[in-house]
Amino acid sequence: MSPWRSAALACVPLLSLAGAAQAQPADAVTWLRRIQDATHNLSYTGTFVYQHGERSETSRITRLASADTERLEVLDGMPRELVRTRDTVRCYLPESHVVKVERRTADRNFPALLPGELATLSRNYDISLGEVRRIGGFECQAVVLAPKDNLRYGYRLYADNASGMLVRAVTIDAAGNQVEQFTFTQLQIGRVTPDMVKPRHAASGWRVEDADAAPARLAGWSLNAELPGFQKVVELTRRMGESKPVGQLVYSDGLAAVSVFIEPLAPRREPLRTGLASLGAIHIYTREVANHMVTVVGEAPAASVQRFANAVQYRRP
Amino acid sequence: MKERISALMDGELEGRAAEEAFDLVRRDGDAAETWRIYHLVSDAMHGQRLLSAGFGERVASQLASEPAVLAPGALPGRTPMQRFTLAAAASIAAVALVAWLAFAPQPQTAAPVAQASSPAPAVVLLPHEANDYLLAHQGFSPRVTLQGMAPYVRTVAERPDEFDK
Repeated sequence: MSPWRSAALACVPLLSLAGAAQAQPADAVTWLRRIQDATHNLSYTGTFVYQHGERSETSRITRLASADTERLEVLDGMPRELVRTRDTVRCYLPESHVVKVERRTADRNFPALLPGELATLSRNYDISLGEVRRIGGFECQAVVLAPKDNLRYGYRLYADNASGMLVRAVTIDAAGNQVEQFTFTQLQIGRVTPDMVKPRHAASGWRVEDADAAPARLAGWSLNAELPGFQKVVELTRRMGESKPVGQLVYSDGLAAVSVFIEPLAPRREPLRTGLASLGAIHIYTREVANHMVTVVGEAPAASVQRFANAVQYRRP
Repeated sequence: MKERISALMDGELEGRAAEEAFDLVRRDGDAAETWRIYHLVSDAMHGQRLLSAGFGERVASQLASEPAVLAPGALPGRTPMQRFTLAAAASIAAVALVAWLAFAPQPQTAAPVAQASSPAPAVVLLPHEANDYLLAHQGFSPRVTLQGMAPYVRTVAERPDEFDK
């Protein structure tokens, strides 16, 4: 069966389950915690396919829980890789000999679904259990997150009954169409050695681009209308590539995040390229505000991302 | 008449009887329509995909408008204006197809981002430079807690323009 047919079929139970959403919320939330715990506490290595539109890419992900280190390697095309440790993410780009470094900022850990955030989550989504289905040899439980409005996408998460590992994650739009999908085609739990999470690129002599992210207040910048369900989680300055400092505001509804980037327009800069672009569930919208370039990046429908961008304003402090 | 057409379809007529029935279908408009409807019913019953009403007619007129060397006899009777109209209709159909393909979920070619001058912003595939923004954004997405690094694949995803190289 083609992936599209499967996706279309997978969406059908979504409607029938909406009514059952209230019935077992506790169980569904327990499953979300289980998925989170498995993702964090288990060591595993597996191959997964990221599918968006008619495109798909295969990557390998390996996690060594004892070292809190995780490595992602793209298997198609250029061997790009990312290695995440407790407090940094390094992105290795062999074609340009660049390492990009993102560090955890002082006031913000990598997000977690803490009890408070789960409350936020259930304000914005109906969380329910879906069907049990076999995926890639794993007996999986579906957890359905149906959005309560059209400002966000819906999700179907399939978790391995035995380990709690997320085997498949499907993002669904308001019309019930699949926007993107992550699926493990092979997954092995345990038996991970430190060598398996080491970057394959020595990267000696490569240019290092450190984001230098630091909490900050972006004086004068705000949203004149916040989007329902999204709350500001962080405000910082950082570098992007070799650019001057860029402001970043991040909003989250408990599962989807939207970033607002604000950067001064350099006098010599090429004409601003404004408009909307997308990749799977990600939309990016760029517009000019008060001689700055405002770029909004979000795992949200185009209209939501545009609403964020249009709400950005500058008032002289 | 209907019994004869039905029998003809079922292969129950032979020789002269069959020839007469075919002749009827050829000459008589009602008979031809009955023949068409019976085939439609038969196709539906056998689960074959139905063609829309008037499909045969449209194919015939489309063929007539083509400057096909093999069927010069099909053209007489049609004025140049009619031919132009049909050709134009065909062109519009072709444009519609191209436009539809252009708005298919994943265009195969990278469209330029600079489409802001158009009245409604068109969604295009992310340009390569967008990777910096994706990487900067991804670390703050709660999805990472459920999925580990998997969503980061978007930050290094290849773009169509890179496939073309």
